[in-house]
Amino acid sequence: MTEIYPLAVPKGRKLKCEVCDAPAERMCAACTVTYYCGIAHQRADWVSIHEKICQLLIPLRTTMPFYNSEEERRHGREQLLQRQKHLIELCYKVAQKYLFEGKHEESVPAALHSLRFRTNVYGLNSVQLVPAYLLLSEASIGLGHVVQAEEYLSQAQWTVLKSTDCNNEIQSLMHRNLGLLYTAKEEYEEARYHLANDIYFASCVYGSEDIRTSGGYFLMGNVFIHQNKMDIADSLYTKVTEIWHTYLDQHVQNQLSARKQPADILAKELENDTGLDEAQEAEAVHILETILEIRENTGKEKPASILFILKTVAILHYLMMNISKAHELAVKAYLLSKELPNKEDVTEALRDLLGLIASKDPVTLKAAKFFAGQGQ
Amino acid sequence: MTTLPPVQLEYSKLALLTRKRSTCSPAGLTKAQLMKIKDETDKYLELKWKGLTKDEAAGYRNSYKKNICIDMLQHGHHKSFCELFFLFNKWHNLREIGGIRSIYWLQTPLELLPDKLDQLFFFLTKAEDAELAANYEDMYSYIYALASYFNNPDDKWLRNYFYERCFNIAQLIKADGGKKEAESYSLMGLLFEENGQLEAAVENYETFHEMTEGRMWTNADGQTFNFLACENLRRIYALLAEKMLSNKNYKKAIRILLKARERAKEGGDMKMEGEAAYDLGLAYHKAGEFELAKSALNVFSDISIALDDAIGLSRAYEAIAKVLVSQENMLEALAFLEKVVEIAKNTSQKGRMVEACTMLGDIYNGKGFYTKACEFFKQAFDTTTECMNASLVDETKVHYGIAKAHQMMGAVNSYIESADHDSLNHLLTWKENRSSIVPDPIPGY
Repeated sequence: MTEIYPLAVPKGRKLKCEVCDAPAERMCAACTVTYYCGIAHQRADWVSIHEKICQLLIPLRTTMPFYNSEEERRHGREQLLQRQKHLIELCYKVAQKYLFEGKHEESVPAALHSLRFRTNVYGLNSVQLVPAYLLLSEASIGLGHVVQAEEYLSQAQWTVLKSTDCNNEIQSLMHRNLGLLYTAKEEYEEARYHLANDIYFASCVYGSEDIRTSGGYFLMGNVFIHQNKMDIADSLYTKVTEIWHTYLDQHVQNQLSARKQPADILAKELENDTGLDEAQEAEAVHILETILEIRENTGKEKPASILFILKTVAILHYLMMNISKAHELAVKAYLLSKELPNKEDVTEALRDLLGLIASKDPVTLKAAKFFAGQGQ
Repeated sequence: MTTLPPVQLEYSKLALLTRKRSTCSPAGLTKAQLMKIKDETDKYLELKWKGLTKDEAAGYRNSYKKNICIDMLQHGHHKSFCELFFLFNKWHNLREIGGIRSIYWLQTPLELLPDKLDQLFFFLTKAEDAELAANYEDMYSYIYALASYFNNPDDKWLRNYFYERCFNIAQLIKADGGKKEAESYSLMGLLFEENGQLEAAVENYETFHEMTEGRMWTNADGQTFNFLACENLRRIYALLAEKMLSNKNYKKAIRILLKARERAKEGGDMKMEGEAAYDLGLAYHKAGEFELAKSALNVFSDISIALDDAIGLSRAYEAIAKVLVSQENMLEALAFLEKVVEIAKNTSQKGRMVEACTMLGDIYNGKGFYTKACEFFKQAFDTTTECMNASLVDETKVHYGIAKAHQMMGAVNSYIESADHDSLNHLLTWKENRSSIVPDPIPGY
């Protein structure tokens, strides 16, 4: 049943592959509304997104049932629109998740679906298409298809230029991707121009000290490293670390102050929470660990900045409940802080952090007691 | 405050583009005019216009603010960018907090003023470069230059912000032996003083003074820092003392004014010393220590004589006279006051003249020399009518009237007491035409 013969299809009805738009030769047996040019594309689509949306596609691709009254017809149309919007979001989320996990290939079909549904709902000229273009370009950069990525980004840029009401959030995202593209193409001046735009737009939306702006600073730092301007890159990385440290430390301080209150037996134990969604967490881990690596490789003569990033990463892992990793990093930072002069307050903060980590994990409890003993 | 010489600004590339745009845009031309200059325009385009590059196009599309920001970021000046961004937001916040009466509603927002943005761009990026190179002295001078640029009533909030930045940067400068740090303390003192937090201002100025003691640092005007510190301290102490005096806290006020005098002596400027002595004298007077007050005021009058400062001298004499009045030593007081009147007349200080005349009139009035009192009150009244101060005119009018009444009372009384035909006639004529004064039957009153 899954085989179809193009010549047997009624005239005027072209069946096209879901992934590449070539004439279709196969059909999904489960939904019978999706066609493919070959087994490879069917498999790719299935792994990426089709498994999740197979049954949802049926109402969209079959003709609408006949309704008797105008009211029912309107209701039916509204429902259809709702379903399409739901699918757009679903596909977008799935593609994004794959991207953060580094599975670029898998994300492409999902992103394509998102783009297709968006075109259906909003039309070809809408700004709503831009996020999908951006996903596709990011996946393409990840796969090393720079030309394709550029094509998608040009589309995105053109759409943004044409529309008058494009919000800053989308602009920021677009420029960030353009920055990535030009970094990949090693055109650093251009990359810096776009990243500057990204930071500007992100600052307009979130403020210049927000974690969502920090991504732009980080990428900018990377470009400066490529151009061998170490001092500027260093200052940018410090900025990123400061932003994240301020954000994460506030959670830790909340927990600490909660612990200082008299113990209430009935009180629930505090949940660790970064307040970030999955994508942001992945971004945080990526950014901070990269900085840590760079610092450890280059900045031997600046132990203070190593200490700072170590502490920040330790807090991040603690909040994400990677207890053993957090413990390891915190101990490292603690030992480093004892060697340095004028860092008593940092040592103090790290001791508190170690205490917190230990309270979540019985294995490290002993070590924590040791550190607490030293503090007195 | 000193203003620095104007700086040759380097405009950023994007900034230059946007500037050019405003000069050559054909906005406001009618279609016919455009047709007329079409050939010219075409020629110009052919010669000069080789198509726009991407960032040139962006430069034209974007606002000046955005261009400046992007230029900063593109060259890695992220701290300058954050600061600029913070300032934009701060201005809007100030406006919101200030409510509907806030002066900020009348101002143009910072982001629409290209000249100010250029200054900010230039100095902030320079300062950041200096900071990266750990060259804090240059950084300080760049920020200080910005603060001086914004030293006008409209941009006071910017100036204050940059003064605070200066203060923080100065803490990092160690190489110059604390000159910048000392200067930054004086800036903070000024901020607190303007804000009305006198105690905090005193603290800062005292630190400034401590740091400059025995040093030969000078500012751009050639005044030594130590002198400035003494002058500022004296002024602040005087303000503080004034506040205490109004709370009737005389002892404390005098103690502070003694400190002020010390500083003034240390500063080595006669005028300053005189002012300190004058303030001290007034405080002693209020506290009831008349002898001390007199001696302090004498110091001031001596200094004024030495400096040939007529106005100061008149102030000194007036204050001395007031002390003497409080001591009920009227004769001397009269002598001093007459001197004051004379000096005031010569230097045409109307306010002082009126005051001295009124006091003189009062004294004579109290002693019963009504004619004399009348004379001085008239002088006061004439002077006030010249300077058109309605409330003062009214006041002197009343004084003058009272003295006049006193003057006439004796004569009227004697007429009534004698109760003969002539006196009655006199009284009747006076009643008929009030303007004329009753001839005085008993001279000597």
